[in-house]
Amino acid sequence: MNEKKTKEQTKIFTEMVAKKQGWVLTRDESLYEDLTDGLTTNYNRYGYYMCPCRDSDGNREADQDVICPCAYAAADIAEYGHCYCSLYWSKEFAASGKKAEAIPERRNR
Amino acid sequence: MFDYLEYTEVEGDLRTHDIEVYALSTCGFCKRGLAFLREHKIAFRYIYVDLIPLEVKTRVKEALRAKFNEHISFPYVVIDGKSTLIGFLEPDWRKTLLEN
Repeated sequence: MNEKKTKEQTKIFTEMVAKKQGWVLTRDESLYEDLTDGLTTNYNRYGYYMCPCRDSDGNREADQDVICPCAYAAADIAEYGHCYCSLYWSKEFAASGKKAEAIPERRNR
Repeated sequence: MFDYLEYTEVEGDLRTHDIEVYALSTCGFCKRGLAFLREHKIAFRYIYVDLIPLEVKTRVKEALRAKFNEHISFPYVVIDGKSTLIGFLEPDWRKTLLEN
């Protein structure tokens, strides 16, 4: 099992992902706290950053497409302005002042 | 729907419907959905499916898929054992749970 992650480490991870991908982090502060709690819990439970808004099938192979940032994030951000969890936003969505809402699940399983 | 699951019961004044919620303990929109129900004093029961054994969870998901023939994502709400609300879209929850 990997070493445990703290919430601070998880926040750094999300910042790095957003920067690398050209996204920004959610502007909804309470949602950010909830999602980084969820990601930290999942890392420490499964050994990888399982998407906090999706259900794990219990192993890395089955969960591969929903390890954060998930395989659907780029398409969701392009179409809706934010990922399924609403953790990552496009810069345009952030500038629009819109509020993130649940979006359809792109994962087909 | 499943007598082998231990749901958490939440008291509420509004009992128009029988509300059962399948949620993830790690999910932001699940948390908001449960908060919406509490805020509107809707009686419901819920279970965090990520906290139950994998084989039980698989059994539950298969049964839900068989009954409702829908993709399962969370929060997943079963209303009166007959219909569902999937994902927390507040206007839909408001319309379905408060206006009907």
